[in-house]
Amino acid sequence: MPSKNFERSVKFYEGKTQNGISVWLPLVDVSLITPSNSRISLPLLFDTGASVITLRADLYPLLGLRSWDEGLKVQTGTGGGQVDAYQYTATIEVFGKSIQCPIQLLPTLPLHPLFCGLLGRDTVFNEFGFGFWESTHELFVTESP
Amino acid sequence: MKLPVTTFEKIGDFKNVIESMSIEAQSPTEFLAALERIGIGSYVTEEGHLMIRYWQIGAEDFVPPEQASIIRTSRPLPDQGDNMDWLSKNLQTIRQEYGGKWVAVYNERIVASSSTLPDLMNQIEEYDRPLITLIPAGPVIWTFTYAL
Repeated sequence: MPSKNFERSVKFYEGKTQNGISVWLPLVDVSLITPSNSRISLPLLFDTGASVITLRADLYPLLGLRSWDEGLKVQTGTGGGQVDAYQYTATIEVFGKSIQCPIQLLPTLPLHPLFCGLLGRDTVFNEFGFGFWESTHELFVTESP
Repeated sequence: MKLPVTTFEKIGDFKNVIESMSIEAQSPTEFLAALERIGIGSYVTEEGHLMIRYWQIGAEDFVPPEQASIIRTSRPLPDQGDNMDWLSKNLQTIRQEYGGKWVAVYNERIVASSSTLPDLMNQIEEYDRPLITLIPAGPVIWTFTYAL
């Protein structure tokens, strides 16, 4: 059987529904480098189903944009069907690495207070290896996949 | 290990302490441990510079960036409480006060809020890596499927 080693573990974060039920979310703290070279911490939901890092469209000022739909128009499949997204390139810092990667802005991503978008695969996942332990609410990460 | 520390002219005794430690330490890790032992907070930047808290004194090129990345993953970063954990644990209270607003969380407290993101960004220029999020005015949806 294969054996993998991980240097880092990220605990899931616990949210409470209005009924007091715990919901555990695999959130990753990602720093976005803005065009003015400041760093903003964005909690993103770890999502192997997302092709690209995807942010809510209303975050466009962080990318130095005047509107969310200035970039490369792409069709993106979602649970609700195909929608238009706009793609940009930005630099992020995550798990100790600085990575230039595509970021899509999507207007249909639901508003949630604990995360601003999805940590998707393109470029970013190539840099790491992941182990997902739902039962213990842990995400394991290696920087040397 | 001799560090290229060049910015201590104005702080006399502290300079002597650091220079003494620079000579005695055998490695960057040992030097950081020595700082910690005498209660001086420090961290290593992405670029490998050593930063010392409160005085904001740096030793440029303390380690190469590759080594900085390794050191940074094993040591706490400055003023970085777990803002996400704090936000998740205090969400109910925060929603009552900040529902419908953008907020910036730093060091486990809300340091700025606004109804618009550009205005919030103007308020938080002095902070390094503040967490920002929009607090919903309505109920939070906890189950979702995206699959992009």
